[in-house]
Amino acid sequence: MEQPTSTYDLLARIEQGDEYAFRALFVKYQKRLALLIHYKLGHEMRRLADVEDVLQETFLEAFRDIKRFRYEKPGGFLSWLSRIADHVIADAARFHGRQKRRAELVRFRSVGTPDGPEPVDSATPSRLLAEKEGLQELIQKLDSLPEDYRRAILLAKVEGLSNAEMAEQLGRSREAAALLLHRAIKRFREIRESDKR
Amino acid sequence: MTDEQDNTNQPSLDRERLIADAVAAYHDLRLQGEAIDADEYCRDYPELGLELRAQLFALDEIDTVLMPNETPRATPAPELPERLSGYKILGEIGSGGMGRVLLAFDERLGRKVAVKTLSPRYAGNPKLRERFMREARALARLDHPNIVRIYNLGDADEEPHFVMERIEGAPLTEAARRLALTQKIDLMLKVVLTVDFLHQRRMIHRDLKPGNILVGPDLEPKVLDFGLAAQVDDLGERLTQAGEIMGTPDYFSPEQARAAAPLDARSDIFSLGAILYELITGAPPFRGESARDQIRSICEHDPAPPRRINPAIPGELQNICLKALEKDPSQRYQSAREMADDLARLLAGEPVLALPSSYARMIAGKVEQHVRDLDGWRQDRILSEQEFDSFRKLYDRLVDREDAWIMEVRRLSLSQVSLYLGGWLLVTGAALMALFRYFGLSGAAPVVVVSAVTASACYSGVRVWRRGRQRIGVAFLLAFCLLLPILLIIAMNDWGIFSSFTKGRKDLELFHLFPAFKQTTNAQLWWAMLLSLPAYLWLRRFTRSSVFSLVIAAMAALLALLTLLRMGLIEWLGADPGKVYFYLIPIAIFFFAAGLAIERSGHSSDSRYFYPIAVGFTLIALGGVATFHQPYAEWLKSVAPVTRAQVEYLFIFNAMIYLALQYACERVSSPQTRWVAKSFRFFIPGHVMTPLLLLGLTASNLWEQSPADSSLRLEARLFEVLLPFVACLFVFGSVAKQMKNFFVTGLLFLGIGIVRLQRDLFRDRAAWPLALLVIGFLLMLAAANYDSIKRAARRNQR
Repeated sequence: MEQPTSTYDLLARIEQGDEYAFRALFVKYQKRLALLIHYKLGHEMRRLADVEDVLQETFLEAFRDIKRFRYEKPGGFLSWLSRIADHVIADAARFHGRQKRRAELVRFRSVGTPDGPEPVDSATPSRLLAEKEGLQELIQKLDSLPEDYRRAILLAKVEGLSNAEMAEQLGRSREAAALLLHRAIKRFREIRESDKR
Repeated sequence: MTDEQDNTNQPSLDRERLIADAVAAYHDLRLQGEAIDADEYCRDYPELGLELRAQLFALDEIDTVLMPNETPRATPAPELPERLSGYKILGEIGSGGMGRVLLAFDERLGRKVAVKTLSPRYAGNPKLRERFMREARALARLDHPNIVRIYNLGDADEEPHFVMERIEGAPLTEAARRLALTQKIDLMLKVVLTVDFLHQRRMIHRDLKPGNILVGPDLEPKVLDFGLAAQVDDLGERLTQAGEIMGTPDYFSPEQARAAAPLDARSDIFSLGAILYELITGAPPFRGESARDQIRSICEHDPAPPRRINPAIPGELQNICLKALEKDPSQRYQSAREMADDLARLLAGEPVLALPSSYARMIAGKVEQHVRDLDGWRQDRILSEQEFDSFRKLYDRLVDREDAWIMEVRRLSLSQVSLYLGGWLLVTGAALMALFRYFGLSGAAPVVVVSAVTASACYSGVRVWRRGRQRIGVAFLLAFCLLLPILLIIAMNDWGIFSSFTKGRKDLELFHLFPAFKQTTNAQLWWAMLLSLPAYLWLRRFTRSSVFSLVIAAMAALLALLTLLRMGLIEWLGADPGKVYFYLIPIAIFFFAAGLAIERSGHSSDSRYFYPIAVGFTLIALGGVATFHQPYAEWLKSVAPVTRAQVEYLFIFNAMIYLALQYACERVSSPQTRWVAKSFRFFIPGHVMTPLLLLGLTASNLWEQSPADSSLRLEARLFEVLLPFVACLFVFGSVAKQMKNFFVTGLLFLGIGIVRLQRDLFRDRAAWPLALLVIGFLLMLAAANYDSIKRAARRNQR
């Protein structure tokens, strides 16, 4: 269960110069952001840029700019990260030929960069997508959903949008957005059931 | 899977929308940082069932995948501090979600103390921290021997904590295990009084449970750990996972479990009830496989009566316990003080006031089944209508929830007798003021005095009733019912309203007959009664007690009589009494119609008082008309001159009317009209047999005076034969509807008829008694072999 105040607390501690808190914040959001980036990249881009690279880059930028972030509401930090990720992806698309820059970013070994150094910490992003039980499975399931269903789940659970915000994003009424989310989850569950059988 | 089946069973779009909205609302709540539990949330939407739950779980499951694998060590597990507030920390006594309780040593005073700390998880939240401290300060102000004492509040630079009394004791239920019942009640009384002390100071514990009530070796309970649950509630972070803060919701009130309404002191009363239940039976009242089951049980099921678990528990203790465990807070004790009073009464051997509503429900459930069975048996002709009705009536009395306290009202205790005596004195006092003039109380003084008394009777009655003490409330309200018309009469008399005489004649006034009294006019009486009726109707609605239906019916009857008075009753009484009775007939019809209308509109408990009045008026009216009404007698004389206009014929005629009414009522066929039919039927045999006997005696007398007159002889003989003949008819006629009064009356008048025959026809003939002996014996033999005779007769017919 998510601890409601912890993001706020962590941010407060970062402000007081607690380096450890940033790491905790990073760990807290990495999977969510990785999933988000996975879908932001899309099929084409995924061949050019590694999800984990973008994730790393996003966090680096976030770390640099954290002082500029103002906590306003619970989902605020993630949408801020999401906007940074957008920039990073846009940059990556522009500079996809520049191997040098990419190499700079990759510091740990990962699926995308098997020749990187061995990760020191288990919480590094390198293992995120490699996990069978976790993220990879979720991505598989989401992939087998119709586009609009997948989008609904991503908006709600990954980007953390409220019902009203979702409705705005999708250009539908709140009721329609709720119904879409409901049907998406229902289908999502059905996939899960059929997996088990 | 069950939830999948649910899906397919309920494919409607409306339902889907409902679920979608609930899912979206849950999602939004989670985003806002509410630590709500999916199970708990689902409880708010019982109709959406398992599907909603499955949806929410799927939502949460995505969260689990997205959560970090490794819990960030941002909040390292707290180690025991060396010292807090200068006290040396020795160890940990216990820990919960909110924090820990540490054992510490006060080196200056050389005693052990307990230190309660706030978990670092919450300590970071300034709001919660502030509340923790504020609560400790509030606690420190409470000085009560049964509430744990606070010694010290932690400084701002230390981790949040407060130092309190170290209690060496066992949780209430464990400590009480070896105690006698009276000791347990005594212990409970102390706890309830302590909770009352808290409530007096506007604090609600919200987490009362045996574990929070420690009992030391001196058998003094100590209540601890309060207010904390309340704070967490306020922040919307109800952490209900097992073992976290609340533990199992064994002692939750339904409103607490449902998290629906804001909690008040009555929630604590429920918890006290649950504790008392466990104290006396050894097990908590609500059990469930899971927390979910348990909460459903708390919200929906009546607990098993404690006496069923342990028959040694006194019924009155069971009453107290179940009264505190009422689902509806307004049915519970309204304050801890009331509960304490009842426990004290029990200890003193006085009758307790509590009467749980669950008894009525318990009975009602079973009785409904029984009545359905009975109805089936009636339709299968296993039961007669009469048997069905009498069982039904008995069952209705069991079920009627009002009867519980009405029975208490009927019990003549000293307080009960004094209550009604007081009420009666009030009414008579007021009535005296209405009837007489007093020198000391002239002008508007009586109006002021009586209106003050009336208003206070009404106010006290309503207030006491609302507090759930119906027994007392009803006495005040009944006194009010009588005081109101008296007040109106006094006021109208004083102000001279409606003071004109009936038909402008003073001699038609009721009070003209009593010159010693204040001269209240008929109009004033009538208007006082009419204006009081709305108040009675309101009382009936307010109390939902059928006592006031009785009041309404009785007052309506009185109003009807007053209407007759205004029409000139006194004149008729002098000139033509029969007219009075004649005018009663429309009133009787009105009451029948009113009863029927009220019953048909589904208020059968109100209508049942109209019928007896209607029956009474009918009997009085028809009897009076037969006896006194001149035109009726003249009509009879003109129709049948041979009858010599004897009243007895008119009674037989009335009996026929009753018979017709009886059939009419049976056609309507509701339990109440069946009762009416039965009461009319009751009067028929007397109305037929007595006039027959009297007519026969008159005829015989006439004949004796002129023995030569053959027509008179024929008449006398006719009646002599008719009496035993009709008597036999009644005896056999009683079979059809099990009319025992027909049977008994028939036997009685048959005997009288036989004696009369003996005196005239069979004078001095031994054959007559001998024939009777033979006939009687043969009849008995025939009856003993009834079946074979009947079969033989049938064979002969073929």
